[in-house]
Amino acid sequence: MLVLGKVALGLGATLAATGAYVFHEGVIRVDVDEHRQGGSHVHFWVPATVVATGMHFIPKDQLNHTTAEVRPFLPVLREVAKELEKYPNAELVDVSDARNHVRIAMEGGRLRIDAVSEDGDVVHVSVPARVLGDVADELEEKAPGV
Amino acid sequence: MKSFKGFLGLGIAAALAAATFLPSATIAQDTSTSAASSGKSEQWIHVRVESKEDHGETVRVNVPVEMATKVLPAINKNNLHDGKVRIDSMHTNDVDLRVILDAVRSSRDGEYVTVQSNENDVRVAKSAGYLYIHVTDKSDSKKAAGKDGKTGAKSSSGNGSKVEIKVPMKVVDALLSAGKDELDLVAALKALSAHGDTELVTVKDNENTVRVWVDSKNLAE
Repeated sequence: MLVLGKVALGLGATLAATGAYVFHEGVIRVDVDEHRQGGSHVHFWVPATVVATGMHFIPKDQLNHTTAEVRPFLPVLREVAKELEKYPNAELVDVSDARNHVRIAMEGGRLRIDAVSEDGDVVHVSVPARVLGDVADELEEKAPGV
Repeated sequence: MKSFKGFLGLGIAAALAAATFLPSATIAQDTSTSAASSGKSEQWIHVRVESKEDHGETVRVNVPVEMATKVLPAINKNNLHDGKVRIDSMHTNDVDLRVILDAVRSSRDGEYVTVQSNENDVRVAKSAGYLYIHVTDKSDSKKAAGKDGKTGAKSSSGNGSKVEIKVPMKVVDALLSAGKDELDLVAALKALSAHGDTELVTVKDNENTVRVWVDSKNLAE
């Protein structure tokens, strides 16, 4: 029984440490609902850490191609991410008419994008601001001088 | 009892995990508190566009001035470089816009341009450290009058577009502080931020209302 307890303790501690590592950067949340026949419904939560880690597994060629395309925007993305962290709660953009509503805001240090259309299509994306900067850094680091 | 110890260990591990989360949460809270406490000095540029057309579109944009001053130099595209915009047409129709603005800057307060015609009323003035540009376009109201007859004549007093621009002279100075044929946007934004709450642009016509202003609130009114 003592052995079982020790195993449980070790397993629990490992799980907790892994969980803490994976989630301490925050979670990226994406919800997409298309309310039409055959429309897609996508709902997922991804720990932000996975994004940086996942980039290690992207094939070099593909990463170089992507970086070459987004390179002009990386300095802007990095600055925006850095600045957004200073404004954890702020409404940045709100566009609405009788049919659609788009809102971009910072909520609790996370960049939140909400889009709702008259047809009932809904898109909610929530990303920790820090992740945007990390992605920019990671792209630059992975394929420098592209 | 021994299995209880195992669960106790699990509990401790969970507590450790919670403690790992706590610092980042505390940091987030600190950031929020410091931002809130320094909120008084932070200036925001607000843009609000309200359309009275079919679907009644409303656009609200709120951007921290500091963010704009940091992000603008990172954008290097077309005429925008290092926070400065190159104006190729500073000499429009043999009129040197820069020289005119420079002349207005160094002159005393007063009304510099007053044009009153059937089509437009234009007024450019300098007063108490501000440059005022007011333009009233009467062409829309004339068209409406032509279309509607009596009704149009009645509405002509209220229709037509009206543009009111009010810029602190210090911002104009900063804007012109770059080299020839360039406007220094970052310097202008910094000057704007130091100036405090200001109503910059108001445009009103039959269909749209546009307002651009600077204040220390992070939400549009």
